[in-house]
Amino acid sequence: MKLVKKETHDTGTAGNTKGGLLGRTVDRRTFLRGTGIAAGGAAAVTALSPRMMQRAEAAQEKAADGEITIKSSVCSHCSVGCGFLAEVQNGVWTGQEPDFDSPLNLGAHCAKGASIREHGHGDKRLKYPMKLVDGKWQRLSWDQAINEIGDQILAIREKYGPDSVYWLGSAKFSNEQAYLFRKFAGLWGTNNVDHQARICHSTTVAGVANTWGYGAMTNSYNDMHLCKTMFFIGSNAAEAHPVAMQHILRGKENGGKLIVVDPRFTRTAAHADQYIRLRSGTDVPLIYGILWHIFENGWEDKEFLAQRVFGMEAIRAEVAKWTPDVVQDVTGVPPEEVKRAAQTMAENRPGTIVWCMGGTQHTVGNNNTRIYCVLQLALGNVGMPGGGANIFRGHDNVQGATDFGVLADSLPGYYGLAEGSWKHWAKVWDVDFEWLKSRFDQAKYEEGKDQVSAMELRGITVSRWIDGVLEPAENMAQRAPIKAMFHWGHAPNSQTRGVEMKKAMEALDLQVIVDPYPTVSAVMSDRKNNTYLLPAATQFETYGTVTASNRSIQWREKVIEPLFESLPDHVIMYKLAKKVGLAEQLTKHIQVNGEEPLIEDIVREYNRGMWTIGYTGQSPERLKLHLANKHTFNVTTLKAEGGPCDGEYYGLPWPCWGTPEMKHPGSPNLYDTSKTVAEGGLPFRANFGVEYEGKTLLSEGSWTKGSEIEDGYPEFTADLLKQLGWWGDLTPEEQKAAEGKNWKTDLSGGIQRVAIKHGCAPFGNGKARCVVWNFPDPVPLHREPIYTSRHDLVAKYPTYEDRKRFWRLPTRYGSIQAKDYSKDYPLIHTSGRLVEYEGGGEETRSNAWLAELQQHMFAEINPADGNDLGIKDGQWIWLEGPEGGKIKVKAMLTPRVGKGVVFTPYHFGGWFEGKDLVDKYPEETAPWVRGEPANNAFTYGYDSVTAMQETKASLCKITPA
Amino acid sequence: MNARSGWKVVALVTSLAILASGCGVTVYEPGVYKGQKDPLLSVQATPEHKALLQERFTKGQTDR
Amino acid sequence: MARMKFLCDSERCIECNGCVTACKNEHEVPWGVNRRRVVTLEDGVPGERSISVACMHCTDAPCAAVCPVDCFYTTDDGIVLHDKDLCIGCGYCFYACPFGAPQYPQKEAFGVRGKMDKCTFCAGGPEGKDNSEEERAKYGRNRIAEGKLPMCAEMCSTKALIAGDGDMVADIYRERVLKRNGRPQSWGWLAAYQEDV
Repeated sequence: MKLVKKETHDTGTAGNTKGGLLGRTVDRRTFLRGTGIAAGGAAAVTALSPRMMQRAEAAQEKAADGEITIKSSVCSHCSVGCGFLAEVQNGVWTGQEPDFDSPLNLGAHCAKGASIREHGHGDKRLKYPMKLVDGKWQRLSWDQAINEIGDQILAIREKYGPDSVYWLGSAKFSNEQAYLFRKFAGLWGTNNVDHQARICHSTTVAGVANTWGYGAMTNSYNDMHLCKTMFFIGSNAAEAHPVAMQHILRGKENGGKLIVVDPRFTRTAAHADQYIRLRSGTDVPLIYGILWHIFENGWEDKEFLAQRVFGMEAIRAEVAKWTPDVVQDVTGVPPEEVKRAAQTMAENRPGTIVWCMGGTQHTVGNNNTRIYCVLQLALGNVGMPGGGANIFRGHDNVQGATDFGVLADSLPGYYGLAEGSWKHWAKVWDVDFEWLKSRFDQAKYEEGKDQVSAMELRGITVSRWIDGVLEPAENMAQRAPIKAMFHWGHAPNSQTRGVEMKKAMEALDLQVIVDPYPTVSAVMSDRKNNTYLLPAATQFETYGTVTASNRSIQWREKVIEPLFESLPDHVIMYKLAKKVGLAEQLTKHIQVNGEEPLIEDIVREYNRGMWTIGYTGQSPERLKLHLANKHTFNVTTLKAEGGPCDGEYYGLPWPCWGTPEMKHPGSPNLYDTSKTVAEGGLPFRANFGVEYEGKTLLSEGSWTKGSEIEDGYPEFTADLLKQLGWWGDLTPEEQKAAEGKNWKTDLSGGIQRVAIKHGCAPFGNGKARCVVWNFPDPVPLHREPIYTSRHDLVAKYPTYEDRKRFWRLPTRYGSIQAKDYSKDYPLIHTSGRLVEYEGGGEETRSNAWLAELQQHMFAEINPADGNDLGIKDGQWIWLEGPEGGKIKVKAMLTPRVGKGVVFTPYHFGGWFEGKDLVDKYPEETAPWVRGEPANNAFTYGYDSVTAMQETKASLCKITPA
Repeated sequence: MNARSGWKVVALVTSLAILASGCGVTVYEPGVYKGQKDPLLSVQATPEHKALLQERFTKGQTDR
Repeated sequence: MARMKFLCDSERCIECNGCVTACKNEHEVPWGVNRRRVVTLEDGVPGERSISVACMHCTDAPCAAVCPVDCFYTTDDGIVLHDKDLCIGCGYCFYACPFGAPQYPQKEAFGVRGKMDKCTFCAGGPEGKDNSEEERAKYGRNRIAEGKLPMCAEMCSTKALIAGDGDMVADIYRERVLKRNGRPQSWGWLAAYQEDV
């Protein structure tokens, strides 16, 4: 043994080598870990050993038959769509390998994806059906559970009507399950069906679709390699979409400039060339401030605006009001920072804009999403590689679940709820329209100025189901309040107004939770009876398709059989349908094996109906071919180079027009006119008519490559084909099917085929519009948050007036804003994500590998505020919102948030007002880590178009606990 | 213990060690690994294994 | 002769902890033991940088130098491993290691009590055959024997953490540095060379 004297160097920041770098405790990760490790650790160590044994046992058995099977699946924790490979031995998920072939992630994972194998253990899973009897969880059989639930909902339907049962679905469904769920709700006879997209990107979908046609991410994560500027506003990709950062940082290495706008100095901001701290809820003024410089300097793309954009003059008029000093006063951003951002974007084109919940979850969410689009239009940044609006979706299949209409205002494919839409789907489902109609409440209800039948009336949104239970019937646009709730894959703690939600849960006759975990729904209320827990399998215990944020559809293979007594969601749907007498209609053209509807048949069925957004070309066979040939796709363009998928884009990103036989390659970048439509090119959609107030809404002098109509044109109908003399291009069978139809309703696909054959887009060639005349604010306006920190600005920028009926419910705006809360609640409260957890966090907080990394719910407070309040780092505090919701959390003093701002992560749950509810979970199901839900302190406030909840600009006060 | 006697001890230990080795006792050699042999060492020495790792590196660690 | 090395490109590291859970997943590392951890400096202010740290598999490994029972050995590829049967859990290597890599599980972990545990570069240890049940139980999975590289690097979300033959790692890194206008931005560069760069 030789002893060598270790030399120590003073090396600045890295100099403190006491205990080595692994021993340093300077950051959030190690924040307050101390006692947590001891307490949680002791519990974990004992509990972890069985699963280690499980693997060892499988390994032993492996020696006997030596077979390892590899299954290819996709991580279920965000919308990037990261592929992974699972090693399975004797039915046990024993290993996880990176999927280097996947062009979306190249094998990479964040903390969640890298620990996805824990799903194969499921220590904390719900293991069998249970119900609450006199405050105790009782086990019961599947048949008994389905029978009891079925009988009760039938009785509620009889007494209160179909709208008193609420179907809260999930962005965790596969596309097939999402489609089946929406179909089920339709057959049940209600539009009271919704899912997390409502509280995620509903304002994006509405705002963006109403600007240029489709409300989805225009380009792809991979395409960001080509951006010259990347403007992030309200997106913290480093924590919410970590693998996206691989592409973003590659873009930056290629010379792209990264600008991050956020009230917090996020981990994404740490990599930015420019960081702008704005006051929460002032996105519209900031963008107007940027546009002010763009117009002032003539940096707008004049040719693009003339050819492809409607209504920019109205924007200019509003921009004129937002001079640099006004912008500074409202947003808090210094004028030189605004100018610098404008100049960077103008000088580095094409650029992209990225936004997430920071932009969408506001009472003015739809204004935000539209003004972001307007900025991109002004710069001429839409419809090309490296440009577009890269809207990062949240859950793994929130794009798909939205596309398949698990929404209170639409049928699958954004067909809406009009009679014609129901007729279209009735035809696809092969059910009698009159029968379908008879399933609904036959009365009409007030919506705005109109009386609308229940079948065509938008339902209650997930953000407001609480009010749907608690509001007196006479105030609502439906027969009776909600009596039964299905929480089918939903975290209640991801929703605001937790205190009222507890009351709503207690007021329900029946509560049914269908989920792999009990979720916070099982424990947050003081219900004593009639709550059912049905164990659903995860996406790794079944198979099907999932749509990534970039609209690529990936096929997931089944990794393992359902754990314990859990069942895949579509099996549970079928069981329930059978019980309530809807099985025949639900699966008329879908093969059912035992009680499992065949996934491939579901795909084929929706292929026959999803013409609007081109989910028609992606047959199971084509998607499986992409799965098998992932490695042939270029990682920047996503285009296959050679091989059996040559020329196609990975996952056939929608729209993938026409029938599968047409072999459309998918559309990689929306509205890109440099490609033919047959090769994935598109103009803007002509979805708003052909003219408005005497001005054309069709594009002028711009068309996609190879278009035989070298100008704007409306959407394709049978009549238009006849006018153009192209009717003869249809086969006789197609002519028969297409007669009187349009590109959305022709089930033969002939109209689409012929339009594309002539180089035209089925949806027409229109202009993007900056003025959405059918929205409350046709030109996006700034309106102060309802609970504003700047009440002095309310007179100039007031919120909306209260509404009598909005999504069936009375909705308040001005009556709340009228009172100034900022004196008693002086701090802005905003929320966001942590990389280790997802959504309400039940799944990820139940994964020990993740839970160990974040053991405490906390609030980030600026050190100056902490000192003013006499609060020290790590101490327990009460955080109270202006509606009285209060949470007990640990203080984390950090300059990450500006003075006057408090940030909380929203993934925690399982506590209520300082009390750990661990005893209320069924045995062995409480997540490793529990904490106070941030949303219990968040307040009222809903977007004026979509009823999105406000979680980014509220108020709070803080006191030592 | 002074330096001189120190030398004596070293000499004694050394001679004892030489004697002992003849009787099947291992000499304690400082700084040399004392544990079991790792079978990986022989695997690593093969060119096939090196090629395998190199291929894996190109596949997984590059940006592609 | 190739020497296996880790490199963490701090311009790419986003502190997502993918490397940490990849390690936990692959080796079933128990709660409280961290073979790898991500460390952030200047947390929450401009200049914030993170790097992922584990055993660096030093060429002249201080842990081996100070070990009183000589339980460390270095493979031909430069991977520093140890024999847990010999280890007495004294913690001397923890003193010596500049990175705080050695871990001392509070309770039983990897089937043994009180022994030092650390990153193996996914190369297991000196126990039975490679990837035998015994080796896995004591040291975790042996990916190197399977012709694979450390899981943390293979799964890194942004390919910030690179593991492999030092020369090949350097090639990738050099190319990135050149793309970034030749500025050395890696964490550690300034620390190592101060303002002399």
